[in-house]
Amino acid sequence: MEQILANGVYLGSQYAMIALGLTLIFALMNVLNFAHGQMYVIGGFVTYTFYGQWGVPFVLALFMSCMTLAVIGALIEKYLFAPVIKGSSREESTMLLAAGIAFLLDALILLVFGEKQRGVPKIVDGVFNWDFRLIMPYDRILICVLAILSIVAFIALMQYTKTGRALRALAQDRTAAQLMGVNVDRYSMIGFALGAMLAGLVGGLLVTITGINLGMGGPTSIKAFMMVMIGGAGVISGAIWGGFILGFLEAFGLAYLSQYGDITYLLIFVSLMIFLAIRPQGLMGKPWG
Amino acid sequence: METRAAWINETGGFEIGGTTYDIEIVSFDDQKDPKRAIAGMEKMAQEGIHYVVGPNVDDGAAAVRPVAEANDIMYFPYAFPKELYSPPASNAVLGMIANYQSGPAIYKHLMENEGVKTVAFIAANESDPLSQRDGGVAAAKELGLEVVSDSVTYQVDTTDFTPVLTPVLRTRPDLLVLSGVSPANAPQLIRSARELGFEGLISTETAQDAGVLAEGAGDLANGFISVGGASTPELASPMMNEFVERYTNMFGEYNDESNTKVYALEYILETLKATPEAIDDVDAFKASMDSFSAPNPYMNGDEQLTYVGMTSFGQKRQIAVPLVVNVYQDGAFETMFIARVD
Amino acid sequence: MNFSAKQILGVAVFLLVIFVGVPMFIAATGRWDFYFTLTSVALLAIASAGVWLTFYIGRINIGQGAFALVGAYVSAILVVKAGWSFWISLPAAGLFAALVAVLLGLPILRLRGVYFAMITLVLTQVATLTALALPITNGAKGITNIPLPSGVSLFGLTLIPDFGQLENTRMAFYFTACILMIITYAALYRLVNSRLGHLCRSMQQNEELASSIGVNITYIRILIFAISSFFGGIGGAMFGSISQSVYPATFVVKDSVDFMLNCFLGGLGYVFGPMLGTLLIYFGWDLLFEFGKYQLLIYSTILIVVIRFLPDGLLSIRFGKGEKK
Repeated sequence: MEQILANGVYLGSQYAMIALGLTLIFALMNVLNFAHGQMYVIGGFVTYTFYGQWGVPFVLALFMSCMTLAVIGALIEKYLFAPVIKGSSREESTMLLAAGIAFLLDALILLVFGEKQRGVPKIVDGVFNWDFRLIMPYDRILICVLAILSIVAFIALMQYTKTGRALRALAQDRTAAQLMGVNVDRYSMIGFALGAMLAGLVGGLLVTITGINLGMGGPTSIKAFMMVMIGGAGVISGAIWGGFILGFLEAFGLAYLSQYGDITYLLIFVSLMIFLAIRPQGLMGKPWG
Repeated sequence: METRAAWINETGGFEIGGTTYDIEIVSFDDQKDPKRAIAGMEKMAQEGIHYVVGPNVDDGAAAVRPVAEANDIMYFPYAFPKELYSPPASNAVLGMIANYQSGPAIYKHLMENEGVKTVAFIAANESDPLSQRDGGVAAAKELGLEVVSDSVTYQVDTTDFTPVLTPVLRTRPDLLVLSGVSPANAPQLIRSARELGFEGLISTETAQDAGVLAEGAGDLANGFISVGGASTPELASPMMNEFVERYTNMFGEYNDESNTKVYALEYILETLKATPEAIDDVDAFKASMDSFSAPNPYMNGDEQLTYVGMTSFGQKRQIAVPLVVNVYQDGAFETMFIARVD
Repeated sequence: MNFSAKQILGVAVFLLVIFVGVPMFIAATGRWDFYFTLTSVALLAIASAGVWLTFYIGRINIGQGAFALVGAYVSAILVVKAGWSFWISLPAAGLFAALVAVLLGLPILRLRGVYFAMITLVLTQVATLTALALPITNGAKGITNIPLPSGVSLFGLTLIPDFGQLENTRMAFYFTACILMIITYAALYRLVNSRLGHLCRSMQQNEELASSIGVNITYIRILIFAISSFFGGIGGAMFGSISQSVYPATFVVKDSVDFMLNCFLGGLGYVFGPMLGTLLIYFGWDLLFEFGKYQLLIYSTILIVVIRFLPDGLLSIRFGKGEKK
């Protein structure tokens, strides 16, 4: 039991971070960022290159991941999403654009980093073992703590800084925010960059444990979508709830249902559908996002 | 394969029945999509090609079968379903060692030498790995091993294997088999298993990449048993070494897996040389498969290229390559033992 | 309905091209492999038509792969295990997919916008996982060795020849797929220009408003989703018959995304948009194979450029103005 709970917390913290970036972008621009998983993968590869290959200190490599993604995010917003949102008569266009960007990033990852599985040396050695009731390698504990700290830092940023307040105003009501003197274009870009940066940060953190490969992008996006659906799209607390709920569902499902073959995900999907039938806006979402 | 073709052409071509040919490889990327695989096979038929290497997955190999049979194409899939190779099917030739052949050999070796008595299986929730797991379980039971866990699977996109492995390792097997594991997942599974305190043996029946294991699992991967290609130092002839060198020059990074493909080309060419009329007549090719034999240029000693598969398929529809079982140790594979398939 | 002379001419030319022009072209050039590629395009276009229809009621559907897989399995099981004729199993596959769509649609069609898109994206995975888990689908091993469609004759008159006896199954499958595609698009055209089509358009714009003027939106939504999935099931069943095998991975998430892209690229405002989109995406991808590892890069760049500058699809630059390639 202790093990399952610990696995749940560990999975939940990393999922929550992935969902946060996605939901932030959704809240600000009403864009479902299909490329979120690819951004996560790029983050992992950047950390791999700096830390794994060039021997740069891990923290610095992590910082480089964040910066790279923030720049990519800002560029994508400014030159692709912003004009398409302005120019298109249908809201679906942004979704298609996001899918196109996902392909583009996949192509770039393939060209720059190759298709092989990559991994980096462990950042901390050793395993915490409490009488075989709870086993957790130290690096996992460290990553889990770092993930939770990042989430706290992100919430603090959104709550107490000028940027955070502007972003929240923007998420609530675009027109009203504009009338109040918020530079909408600028903060949209900052928000998008911040969301992308979060994806890069998770990628950089997790590369130390799971390694990284090209194929991880798409499935990561789909998982992130599920968390956002559980918690409610566009709501920060929803993303955190969604992440932890999914993490615990997986941990419990895999522990108790494993003897029946892989029905854990099937059950998660089915319960998600039933849940959404009862509460279409998710746990925390406003009705109709 | 492109490497080998370029090499042959560079040295003047390949002589079949008095005529010297340049080798041209026509490639098609099916993206592991069976629908595209059919289109690819149609393209091959269109170009009048009779010998195709691939597809690489079960569903693709099954999907191209009608096209191949209708157009007289011999194809060399890297997929394991037995009905592709057993009568009435006759156009497919298995291009490697199947898991239901390598698995028993590994289990038997470990039973005899390491005293393994219990075994647990874990597989990705996908067609190929699940089929391979079922084959492995059957083989293990036949050998008298006790299968303590065979129902645990994981999603292909799993990033954290600790929760997946926990119930498996609770059964405390002597041997943990990672059925059909992809090179990307293997290091993470090994790492999670070792971190959970598993001290038994870990093996798989698929080929792995030493570099990926070193990066992903480091020393934790020591002792990991997998099936290798045929370029281990003990076996590799000077020609194989030259091939590896040329491959590295062409594509940058060599991995042991790629040399299973070079064999298929060599078999096709050598069989055609022995039976020149088979260039446009696959029935002649099939007829010559039963008796064909030529020296194996890639292995030291007087090894022969022959077609095998009588035991598994009831007809000779498999190329004979050595079954090399490797153990990973400090960043490289060491040969554990070598066996043969009949 | 009134057709202008120009429209009738257009349809006639189109029919002539696919039933006479293409076979003549293939016979002349000897490119027999085009039959399969064009058959694929026709079948994918049928499934894409379904996706287009869900767009028509304002829902982004990224789950068509699930229904194609359902159709492929239903047909395969009926033919292999129950010994049905393929020609009866084909509509049965469509109807079963539609039934599944009704059951699933009841809860999920209440969702809108991105929520619906996200849940449909998950559907394809659910279908694959279910196929892996159920005994009747043969789990991971899939269903293989499906016999070719048998013949149908009425009062001694051969309506459909036995595909197993045919010299050229490729051509037979091509004609079958094209006929199905034409029926699909004719039905689609008819539907869009009917009262139901008007109701759909009003729903696309504003569901509350449509509901307030007495439109039974729940009923229409389910009906449209069922028809959409029917098309998916038909397309999938045909594919299973051609490849004579079905695996859990025969249709995956990528296929679902492709169906959606086909519709977008062709243009959501045009009934024939998905057909054009399917053709361009399928052949465009094959042509780009020449570029080796840059294939995906070029493909995605073109896609992004099209969305950036033609957000309403290729057909928005008017018919026949060629492809932006």
